Amino acid sequence: MSGVVIHLPAGWGEGEPGGDAVTLRLGPGEVARFGRGSASTPVELRLDDEAISRLAGEIRVTDDHWQLSNLSPTQSYLVENPEGAGEYLRVPPRRAGAPIPFEFSRVVLPTRNTSVSFQVFAPDHVYLDPDGLHGQWGSRTVTAYSLDETALYFLILVALCEPRLRDESPVAVPTTPQIVDRLKGHPACGRLTARAVSSHIDYLADEKMRISAPAETGPRREARRNGKREAIVGLVLRFGLVREDHLALLPPRTGATGQERGTAG
Amino acid sequence: MHGPADTSGDDPTELLPPGYRVARWEVVEPIGTGGWATVHAGRLIEGHAEGVPGEESVALKVLPTAGLSPHQARKVADTARREVEFGRGSSHPRLIRLLDTFVLAEPDHPLLDGAIVLVMERAGRSLRDLLDAGVSEAEGARLVTEICEGLAHLHRSGWVHGDLKPDNILLMADGSVKLSDFGLVTQLTGTHGTHGYAPPMGTFDYLPPERWRAPLGEQGVEIRPSADIWALGITIHELFAAGASPFPGATPMARGAATQEYADGRAPLRLDGALPPFWRALTADCLAPTHAARAAHTAESLLARVAERTATDVSPFARASVRRGRRRAASLTLAVCAVGATVWPHVEHDTASGAPSAEPPGRIRVFNAEQSCRGRTDRNADCSLGLAIDPTRPYTVDNVVATRVWHGDELAVDCRLPLGMPIIDEADTHSAEWYRVRLPRGAGRTAAWLPAVRTKDRPSVPDCPAPTPIG
Repeated sequence: MSGVVIHLPAGWGEGEPGGDAVTLRLGPGEVARFGRGSASTPVELRLDDEAISRLAGEIRVTDDHWQLSNLSPTQSYLVENPEGAGEYLRVPPRRAGAPIPFEFSRVVLPTRNTSVSFQVFAPDHVYLDPDGLHGQWGSRTVTAYSLDETALYFLILVALCEPRLRDESPVAVPTTPQIVDRLKGHPACGRLTARAVSSHIDYLADEKMRISAPAETGPRREARRNGKREAIVGLVLRFGLVREDHLALLPPRTGATGQERGTAG
Repeated sequence: MHGPADTSGDDPTELLPPGYRVARWEVVEPIGTGGWATVHAGRLIEGHAEGVPGEESVALKVLPTAGLSPHQARKVADTARREVEFGRGSSHPRLIRLLDTFVLAEPDHPLLDGAIVLVMERAGRSLRDLLDAGVSEAEGARLVTEICEGLAHLHRSGWVHGDLKPDNILLMADGSVKLSDFGLVTQLTGTHGTHGYAPPMGTFDYLPPERWRAPLGEQGVEIRPSADIWALGITIHELFAAGASPFPGATPMARGAATQEYADGRAPLRLDGALPPFWRALTADCLAPTHAARAAHTAESLLARVAERTATDVSPFARASVRRGRRRAASLTLAVCAVGATVWPHVEHDTASGAPSAEPPGRIRVFNAEQSCRGRTDRNADCSLGLAIDPTRPYTVDNVVATRVWHGDELAVDCRLPLGMPIIDEADTHSAEWYRVRLPRGAGRTAAWLPAVRTKDRPSVPDCPAPTPIG
């Protein structure tokens, strides 16, 4: 259990307008307060909008998920699952410790004109091995790096592994544009951008599998990014996290629109 | 209890029908399923060589490969390979023995064709079965001693178990402990043999805190013997606290999070009040929050602590309830001897000047269990053997004298210590006996201690006085 990652996009943090993006990491049991903050009301995550309370809420890491406390007396907050086709939770005013079940969440706070939002990632969610579904699982030996096979990142991972799984190219790992192109027929990937693909790959490498790879800064950044992809593909295939049967998740290769997969993966 | 409907329509526990023959054995009944394998009880078919201990009643672990994708089949084969490689290179009374392996050729039974069968010693039950009822302190001490013996052997041989838990600690018909399930055993590599790389698998409740954040590298996750010591700490706690984990939480994930809070210093270690004081201290050491803090507590050093406690603290009542096997009986005798030695201390054999008396009571010849060393006469450093400063402390580098000895050396013996640090040599001879031997002039010390496993001689020398470090 390594906790959760909170990400506030640039523009809402301190020193608005155009504040820097903020990333916070919380371990199990740790708490981060959010709100407009003040000298007497310190917060870990500062949301600079007049409509937001000085202390608007609290995030607490519990087990493999997190809880949201809404400290506003009047406002409801929304927690959206960006991959859930509109799936969301409403956390009413004064609700203490609402458990949030999504691996990816966008916490949305209403403001006068629009809304402020930040993201919370919970990479510790555990999935049982396909062969571990019988009987008691508590004392089972399980794969310690578990992936949500219905998540978009998994689809991207399968696409990354496809050439190797089909024994087509022992070396080449698809590039980001190739992934976007490969997945465009999938109902969940209609608006998939190259940037989203890259951030999903970073999430897999850094948060889910904690791959030890060189930092991706400075010159030859693109080459190093490729190194990271190759490392991911090598590992997930070696340890059986992506297998041949997962290829069925990908849209057909003919370039058709994949209508036969009516439900989004 | 049944899980969700199995889409394949096959109950994996009925893979091999009763009466099915695998080489010299036939299937009696299924006993369990877990991970990629199903386990059946087997018995030796009549007419086959009998009298080989452990072969009459066996466990047949079947790893089917049919219907698996090449990558899944590779994973199964990898698990089997680890068990087989480990089984071949390792034999110890505290480890479940791998008797044989087969690949089934059953073209008419697609489910069985290509399945890998591991034939192993059969145990009665696992430590998990004892947890609910709990154990007496004396019985617990015996179990922990035997678990530590197995772990100490593994670690000394350069392996990490990687999945130690009550389910994998088996109890034989006579009650003795054997470690099993070597599907995740990892050989220590690296220049100093300090760590190895394991597949990214484990059991949440027994994973050390550092594993929750360990990066996944090309060869797997880094694992060190201290991971087994952590798992041992959890197991000891469960043993004395009727199965309760030291970490709070209703699910393995919650307990994993609590483990992390403890390791990060945000929560103290709260051990169950049911743990007797000695075991509380031992468990806390096993559960030191970092690898560095845990590394000081090796299976060997824990074994010595338990042995020392058994020798001095065990009440007659507790002793009476320990009655398992011949080896145990032998060490009990030793425990009594040691108590005797403290009651009637022997008179020092040294003369008033501090120099050993001229004529030693006995002589012993050094024996090296390493066969390749026995033929050499060049006094090669690799074939040298150490002498301990204190025979009751772990036999480590800071506890050996500078003087080395070689196979065939003759040493003057003053006395015998019946119960020191238990030592197991390369040929798995066990003994807690030590001899106090004299050192040549100019060695800095007058005497040191040779483990009895390092000699074949058994001279009749007096028992040593209560062990005190000798200068």
